[in-house]
Amino acid sequence: MTHSNKKINRLIPTNEDTIGPYYPISFCDGDSIDMATTKNGIIFKPEGEQIKVNGCVRDINGNLANGVLLEFWQANAKGVYRTPDNINDPDIDPWFTGYGRYRTMDGNFTLKTIKPGRCGDRAPNITLTIFSDGIMRVVTQLFFENDPANDQDPLLQVVPEDLRERLMIKKTKENEYFIEIIMAGENETPFFDDLLS
Amino acid sequence: MTKLGRQIEIGPTDNTSNERTPRNRLHLIPDAARASFVPWAPRIQGLDPAEADLTRLAPGRPRAEGDPIKVTGKVMDEFGRPIRNSIIEIWNANKFGRYSHIEDHSGLQLDPNFLGLGRTVSNDQGEYEFWTIRPGAYLARPDINRWRPKHIHFSIRGGSSRLITQMYFDGDEHNDTDPMRILMGDNFHVNIGKEYETPDEDFDSGYQFDIVIGGKNPTFFENI
Ligand SMILES: [Fe+3]
Repeated sequence: MTHSNKKINRLIPTNEDTIGPYYPISFCDGDSIDMATTKNGIIFKPEGEQIKVNGCVRDINGNLANGVLLEFWQANAKGVYRTPDNINDPDIDPWFTGYGRYRTMDGNFTLKTIKPGRCGDRAPNITLTIFSDGIMRVVTQLFFENDPANDQDPLLQVVPEDLRERLMIKKTKENEYFIEIIMAGENETPFFDDLLS
Repeated sequence: MTKLGRQIEIGPTDNTSNERTPRNRLHLIPDAARASFVPWAPRIQGLDPAEADLTRLAPGRPRAEGDPIKVTGKVMDEFGRPIRNSIIEIWNANKFGRYSHIEDHSGLQLDPNFLGLGRTVSNDQGEYEFWTIRPGAYLARPDINRWRPKHIHFSIRGGSSRLITQMYFDGDEHNDTDPMRILMGDNFHVNIGKEYETPDEDFDSGYQFDIVIGGKNPTFFENI
């Protein structure tokens, strides 16, 4: 079943669809929203500042978006992503994957992680993918408020200035932060197009 | 003309879709930030091959009610190159249109021998295979009498690829009124499993469902 798109000689991508309300919760067993602790009771921990990011996902009416599946992805404290391309990078942290997944029952979450480092001209950030009933996947990147690298970050530059505020994780106390994701409507979080880009 | 990001459409007549669909156009990602949007999911350790057989709770247990079917296919990028080692998760309703999910409050009949969820990993050619029960259609919105046609949910992840999709069945009476199908427009055909006969096997029939992951997501780590 290969359908070629004659104009550009590529296959037609399979349509994205919603995840629906019944994504099996047990598929997330063994996934972690705690990237800061090494599994299996090992004493080693990832390098860097251990932080807690409290957050919530809200819908157009300001209600918590229940049942959404969240996927987090970030660089380690030295700004290196754990990808196959970087496997030999001496700055890879053996105790940090940078990948976490969580299905929130009520729309709230607490991500335990380490503060990501700066990667070239990229300011420290956390990629967040949201899967939900009623929508296709949406993707965004969250930044840390008042980080000096934000001014030069190439992604933040394409977001209109008045909207950048909505991507900022705010410090609430020592090692603790807060972010509110608004999926639709007033104060909507800016989302990015990773299919056309 | 400047290229713009997609405007996500609200699925017709669906409350959740209305409440959760971003109203603003998606922002395009500049090249300098593109690679950072491609997560690399760690491998799942010790995946049991029996997880690809949804027709029984475990080997040797009784078979679930309904028609056993085989679903096979290949995961690839837009150029037809295989996507290997991707984790493929599927879930579907039982013969009666009921999920075993704790939040399915439809009250439809459960089948104690059908869990309706399974996982596998694509091989070096990008191929996968599942055994399941042909799902029933279900009344998703009794308030507006809206049915979901028979479908199997798919999630593909691992490596750099990421796709949530559904496989549909040709000729289902509810296909034409399904909001998700309507959003797909002329491209609906790529989401239909192509039925084939399985004369010497213990299946009602087989379905070939090839999955093409679009955009740059699957191609960032080509050496894998
Ligand atoms: Fe469904």
